[in-house]
Amino acid sequence: MRAFLLPIDNLLRGEETGLTPLEPTPPLRLRRLLLFILMFGLLYGAVMGGYGGIAGDRWKQVIFSAVKVPFLLLGTFLLSLPSFFVVSTLLGLREDFGQSVRALVATQAGVTIILASFAPFTALWYVSFSDYQSAVIFNAVMFGLASLAAQVLLRRIYAPLIARNSRHRMLVRAWLIVYAFVGIQMGWLLRPFIGDPAMPTRFFRAHAWGNAYEVVLRMVWNLMTR
Amino acid sequence: MFHWFKQLDRILRGEATRLSALRAGTIDVSVGGLSAVLLILGLLYGLCMGLFSVIASGGRTYAQLLATTVKVPALFFLTLLITFPSLYVFNALVGSRLTIKSVMRLLVAALGVMLTVLASLGTIVAFFSVSTSSYSFMILLNVVVFAISGFLGLLFLLQTLHRLSIAQEPEPPIAPVEHRPSEGEATTIPPPLPGTTEPSAIERVDGRMLGSHTRVVFRIWIIVFGLVGAQMGWVLRPFIGNPNLPFALFRPRHSNFFEAVLHHIWNLFR
Repeated sequence: MRAFLLPIDNLLRGEETGLTPLEPTPPLRLRRLLLFILMFGLLYGAVMGGYGGIAGDRWKQVIFSAVKVPFLLLGTFLLSLPSFFVVSTLLGLREDFGQSVRALVATQAGVTIILASFAPFTALWYVSFSDYQSAVIFNAVMFGLASLAAQVLLRRIYAPLIARNSRHRMLVRAWLIVYAFVGIQMGWLLRPFIGDPAMPTRFFRAHAWGNAYEVVLRMVWNLMTR
Repeated sequence: MFHWFKQLDRILRGEATRLSALRAGTIDVSVGGLSAVLLILGLLYGLCMGLFSVIASGGRTYAQLLATTVKVPALFFLTLLITFPSLYVFNALVGSRLTIKSVMRLLVAALGVMLTVLASLGTIVAFFSVSTSSYSFMILLNVVVFAISGFLGLLFLLQTLHRLSIAQEPEPPIAPVEHRPSEGEATTIPPPLPGTTEPSAIERVDGRMLGSHTRVVFRIWIIVFGLVGAQMGWVLRPFIGNPNLPFALFRPRHSNFFEAVLHHIWNLFR
């Protein structure tokens, strides 16, 4: 248990920032970070998909949601990686590329760990309120909080890189913009994450293929012209 | 082939455009080899861009995909071909010392930066192509992606022009060897770490203002290259392919690039 928790603890404290991790351990390997994303993402996803219980067809939603959370993070990451590589080369930061990728993956691992720690809240919410809309909003708030908390982690892990070369700051800002841009659309595509009990359980929602930004812009437009 | 990719990598890293590497007055790259790599990168982005038409047609027509794949590299090479004579002449008129060969190499290197950034954003464009049904959104996304890559490419062009003009000066007015940091300076400023001393490919060389030649040449080039590039893109339409219109290799000539962008921003809201 201790061997399992220690690397997570060090990750959350910002492993290589000199913020005194509990015990000096070798820096986290990329493979282990990916394993964290998979493991904790699956965990939160499963809880999130447990909204309608597991009676009948609903158990499928638990599995679908569990798979979707790590897929959302890793898919967005992979799509955004090539441009990150090229721009970091252009800015003369190729030597640090390995380290910055590790920092970015560690941040995403942080998101899933934080989300997983929120999972009991989500379960309690499901037990207390049965309204589908409020479940959606609650999960959105959880994702928002986890992303915000992970910003702190990102800043901590990135501090030594920025101290070495201030161009890293610009690069990580550009990364966040691209990542959010792709991630929002990815999240939109992977709906439903929770699964309306009134609808049949499916991996993808029928006729939901579309563009998140287009939908939002249209909503804004409709509000303004009404 | 691999060797040519290596050359592109040296350009991106800024190794090919260091002051010490530019003493000969030119970038040490082979135009032919680099063009081959650029062709591949252009085809790659074209493929990502053309994916939208395949998805929008329900996987029935591949003509637009094929056309777009060819059109993207064609856009860049044709723009270079059309603008090169005038770019060279302006450059000579302003009194820069660049030879015709080094102008060619410089422009191909800048295209290299543009196309690499473009191709690297291809994954995101392909992702949106597959998942979006809005034609206007795809057009605007592609305009933004082209603008980002164009911006970085032009930044590279400007800094390399600047460096070329410094490297060719017979004697640098400020000799860097004479600069001795005082004791106070030495304690407050940490010594730069190895690897960070060299400026990156798109960064200005420390402590030097842009020369007036560089600035004039660059302004003229931007205007010529930008106008011709935008118009060439307009002539080569359609790149993405309106799902409501049948496939056509080229569209009839009317309107212009800037009017169309405004039109699609408007469209996205409705």
